[in-house]
Amino acid sequence: MSEAVPIVNGRYSHDLLLHDSDEELVAGTALFVEQGLESGGHVLVHSTEARVAMLREVLGTDPRLEYGLDQDLYLSPSSTLFAYQRQLAESPRPTELWATGTVPLGVDVAGHPAWGRYEPLVNAVLGPYAFHGLCSYDTQVLPERTIAAAKAAHPHGGTGDQRTASPEYRHPADFLSDPLAGVPDPPSSAPAARMTIPGVPHLGSARDLVRRVCLLSSAVARDTVDDFVAAVNEVVVNGLHHGSAPVSLSLWADPVRLTCLVSDLGPGIADRLAGYRYPGADGPKGLWVARQLCEEIFVGNLPGGGCDALVIAK
Amino acid sequence: MKSLDRLPTDWDGHVALVHDSERQRRVGVADWVGRGLDLGARVLYIEPEDAPPERSLLGVLEEHALRVDEALAEGRLEIFAADDQVYSPTWQEGVVDESLAVGYSSVWWSGEERTAWSVMSPARHTEIEWETDLLCDSRPMSVMCQYSGHLPQATLETVCAVHGSGVRDSQLRAVPTPDGLALAGSADAANHRLLRSTLVARAATVAAAGGRLTVDVGELEFLDVAGARALWTGTTAHRMRGGTVRLTRPPPRVDRMLRLLGVHEAQGFEMEDAHE
Repeated sequence: MSEAVPIVNGRYSHDLLLHDSDEELVAGTALFVEQGLESGGHVLVHSTEARVAMLREVLGTDPRLEYGLDQDLYLSPSSTLFAYQRQLAESPRPTELWATGTVPLGVDVAGHPAWGRYEPLVNAVLGPYAFHGLCSYDTQVLPERTIAAAKAAHPHGGTGDQRTASPEYRHPADFLSDPLAGVPDPPSSAPAARMTIPGVPHLGSARDLVRRVCLLSSAVARDTVDDFVAAVNEVVVNGLHHGSAPVSLSLWADPVRLTCLVSDLGPGIADRLAGYRYPGADGPKGLWVARQLCEEIFVGNLPGGGCDALVIAK
Repeated sequence: MKSLDRLPTDWDGHVALVHDSERQRRVGVADWVGRGLDLGARVLYIEPEDAPPERSLLGVLEEHALRVDEALAEGRLEIFAADDQVYSPTWQEGVVDESLAVGYSSVWWSGEERTAWSVMSPARHTEIEWETDLLCDSRPMSVMCQYSGHLPQATLETVCAVHGSGVRDSQLRAVPTPDGLALAGSADAANHRLLRSTLVARAATVAAAGGRLTVDVGELEFLDVAGARALWTGTTAHRMRGGTVRLTRPPPRVDRMLRLLGVHEAQGFEMEDAHE
């Protein structure tokens, strides 16, 4: 049995609360909320409408305790992740934020991997801040694979004197290489369009092509298409500047999903998590902005050298 | 003040065409000559006497299937070999006035920076550019000076400063307004140096007039991170001096990019709400 480790105020923590009853959920949440309020920080409890009502009844109210609904706060993994990052990075005063709830995981099991990948990214994105997360997973209803991914994503599990380091925990970059992460492959079908971009003067025509094909072949909202085009633009610029020209682009535009594979011939990328951390005033911002303009971007190295990025929007 | 409503067909005044490649230059020149002749202007062009066929105006026009035999024969299109005389403002003024006197509606004039620099120093050429600006203010003219976008930043800034009717490349147009600059088209990693240069040049002129530089981004269709950074770096000196930059009429896409990067809250910037 590993030794119990307390949450340290002012630092980062991201814990897993596995529960198979409402009582366990309420008890674990209450301990976390209590420590959060004692620390002087701001506490957020989020979940479905029914669960929030149940928790509010037990936890009561406090000027620094806020209740939120997943339908408002957890719309997509990337928007949630970067909203937390902005709140912490751009706060005029040092803020200690304690957030607990049920990560919504999407409307069905197909959505689990994307939210499963959100969890380790929380460590990469919010690690530098005084952020504390306690994520509750209901073992009664969730599939084993989803629970296994949650264990690998949270450095600690349990609450109060039951809180211990998780032996299954994986570094976020390692997590993404694990089949548990369910990182998608490019579609196996033939792309709707391909293009080679020899240099930045061709960026405009690359954007025109991507936009035209997306609007023609998919039913994705126009705003989403425009965001996707802007994200692909940044990834291509990255390939031209940090990789080596030419950059090649393959595009798939399904009715509900846009996918673009961008590859360059450069030395490859050392950090698969590039563009997640807050860039600061002088840091590179292209990939960071691109990640906020689409669902997900997967950056990797090609077996024969070079780098590729899979950009997905829906 | 030039109205953006008339762009992109509006070539009035003293404009710089900044090109990234020979291909872009040739497309721009063929387009400009075609428009000038269509509008009944007298089109005059300066090139080196020994211009190789692939760089010469006639080579460019032939490549773009623009038939100009008749225009050449009638003097509607005339090509001058570069020498001291053709760059003399007095001589140019004479040619323009003669052309207008015989009934041409306007006079269009173009040449490359390297052609000028083959017969005079860049410094002397800059002086002539300033005088050309005055000439264009007083006559119906379109003077399109061709410059490489790969010139040093300081040279590009001078190019932007001396062209009173603005600068453009294949996708961005920047036109001076009384209190700043109006942008149209796309600003991205391909032309961020040009955008930065035009902001530096324009900020220097409005600094004396109250310190507020208004950048109308209402016709900007696309802005990427490199373009937004140019808005930032091109106005850094101006803002450090206590000047402000007001970004007006941002379209939703441009507004989104500027907000993601925090430009709307940055020191020295003011931004209007997004315009649909």
